[in-house]
Amino acid sequence: MRKFLAIVVCKLGRFVGKLVGKGSSMPGKFALKICPDILRRVQLPPHIIAVTGSNGKTSTVEMIATVLRGQGKNVIYNAEGSNQVEGVTTLILTHATLGGKVNADVLLLESDERYAAHSFKYFHPTEFVITNLYRDQLTRNGHPESVFDAILPAIHPDTELILNGDDPLSSCFAIGHENVKWFGLNRCATDTETPTGVYHDGAYCPVCHAPMEYEYVHYNHIGAYRCTSCGHARPTPDYAATELDLQNGKLILDGQFTVALAFRSIYNVYNILAAYAACRECGVEGAAIADTLSSYILKNGRMQTFTLGQHHGTLLTSKHENSIAYDTNLRYIASTNEDCTVLIIVDAVSRKYFTSETSWLWDIDFDQLNVPHVKRVILSGMYRNDLAERFRFTGVQNWEVIPGIPDAAAAIRDSGSEALYVVTCFSDRDKLLNLPDVKKEG
Amino acid sequence: MELKILHFYPDLMSLYGSYANVSILKRTLEELGNTVTVERVDLGGDADLTHADFVYMGAGTERAQKAALLYFSKLGDAVKAAADAGVTMLFAGNSMELLGKTITDDAGKVYEGLGLADFTAVQNKKRFVEDVYGHTDLYEDAVVGFVNRCSVITGVETPLLTSMDMGHGNEGPCGPEGYHQGSVFASQLTGPILVKNPALLKIMVQAVYRHRGETCPEIPVDQYMAEGWAITAEQLKARCTK
Repeated sequence: MRKFLAIVVCKLGRFVGKLVGKGSSMPGKFALKICPDILRRVQLPPHIIAVTGSNGKTSTVEMIATVLRGQGKNVIYNAEGSNQVEGVTTLILTHATLGGKVNADVLLLESDERYAAHSFKYFHPTEFVITNLYRDQLTRNGHPESVFDAILPAIHPDTELILNGDDPLSSCFAIGHENVKWFGLNRCATDTETPTGVYHDGAYCPVCHAPMEYEYVHYNHIGAYRCTSCGHARPTPDYAATELDLQNGKLILDGQFTVALAFRSIYNVYNILAAYAACRECGVEGAAIADTLSSYILKNGRMQTFTLGQHHGTLLTSKHENSIAYDTNLRYIASTNEDCTVLIIVDAVSRKYFTSETSWLWDIDFDQLNVPHVKRVILSGMYRNDLAERFRFTGVQNWEVIPGIPDAAAAIRDSGSEALYVVTCFSDRDKLLNLPDVKKEG
Repeated sequence: MELKILHFYPDLMSLYGSYANVSILKRTLEELGNTVTVERVDLGGDADLTHADFVYMGAGTERAQKAALLYFSKLGDAVKAAADAGVTMLFAGNSMELLGKTITDDAGKVYEGLGLADFTAVQNKKRFVEDVYGHTDLYEDAVVGFVNRCSVITGVETPLLTSMDMGHGNEGPCGPEGYHQGSVFASQLTGPILVKNPALLKIMVQAVYRHRGETCPEIPVDQYMAEGWAITAEQLKARCTK
């Protein structure tokens, strides 16, 4: 009876919530109050794929959903990003019959890394993709190892782990777990021999703290690592990107499936790899995955193009407090080789909570902007002084501070026609995009 | 003067931009006309503290902290001798805990600290992560920053921050926080606290000069640091009164 009531209340709550434009977590919250173990009592689809990690969750989930739907599978997933247990409950119950059978072939969940253990208390994923573990939102997450410790209890012995073999920390989830599939990027032309970036999280083995060595590095501390003491090392991937040409936007998976990259970022490559591995594990042919993901454009709005005066602008959105996401966007700008202006905005550190914490700026490798084609860098927003002090410790010379975002936009509008890249967070992007002079595209 | 900064375990104890405290101190000392050498001490490496002018360690994960303790405790006598000799030291983040008598991890395992100070640290599974707005007896300006800790520290008689309006202190909410004895400074405030707090940077510079028996010249005001501090302090103060 409680199960039935919880499902009815959730469905009704979701219906009303949609009418009044409310979020998706409240109906699930009510359902959990009525029947705390409701998620154990429902009949779930044969495939439950969860995706967690510091970066790439939303993109990976979007790609998996697109591929599986393209194969005719009925996929339900938390597209609204409600990735804690209440949102997951809403998703499941709104797609369940009143008897508790979830009408889908695949339940696909983007899972908050800190709350995964809570979400998977009453059921567990059949496939669990962990994209990576980096320094991310330390104001909320503590540090990568504390996130690792939070995810670990969420892993059921029967779950198949799909892990990034190139990440020395998240690969540790395989220790003591039998059912593991690895994805990874093989050596490619843009690799370096040693880790890049301001800090070096791959310096010491996450298992035994002995020094680690690298055969090659794709970015930051992601690559072919090997501990000099305990042998913790990059495994041979089950699903590999065997060739990558970022310049021409070409990726080859497992030596035979070619993907044309819509966004030529190494981040995008890892998201594709994670989605490819998950879809292959669900029985989809490699060629079909490659076809679907070729020129696939993410719908999550992280890359918005626009015009401002004579400038064609690209908004590169990444979370503040995530240095690797910033590094990747800066690396992208450095790779374009076209004259450009870069506007960096740090106005509200987070859109979800208050903080004045700006330590994360010191983890970002802004020196990547020290290239001839970056003609001008403008620092703007409330925390422009913190940005400016950080820039004083880079080799970048042509930076300036314009405190107000409208003033910064006006200064750009009134001068030149070079490309414009805006690097900022979800919390600040609309402060630029909503300016009258900014004309959004697409 | 020719000055030497010893930076302990820069790759291991490197969370939250900890390195920036060394960067800003080096630059400031150089702007005052000194020649400054930064010597990295990597895990397992030896260090000569007798000629050091500044000893620094940043924040790490709890597991990294134990690895740091394993090697740093071997230098315990040298660290104590340097502290007695008035060498300026800053331990930012959870490296502060190394200075105490013991660290108890979240599983109850007890690790011996250096015993430079009389406090003990007990770590928990719960983390306290929040902005800090506090006060020190060393100067008038508010201390701003961020705390990201999982420990309760008891037994500190001489804290660095005597009170806090916002933030989690040694033993609980709203301070006191950190440790200060002579030329040894420690704080669980994470990240570049010397960048965020120009007045605390000044205290460090003055301590370096004092140890050398020299008079510290006027330290020029860094516009970005000063304005950055003012904005953050204003934001946090407004939050405190809510």
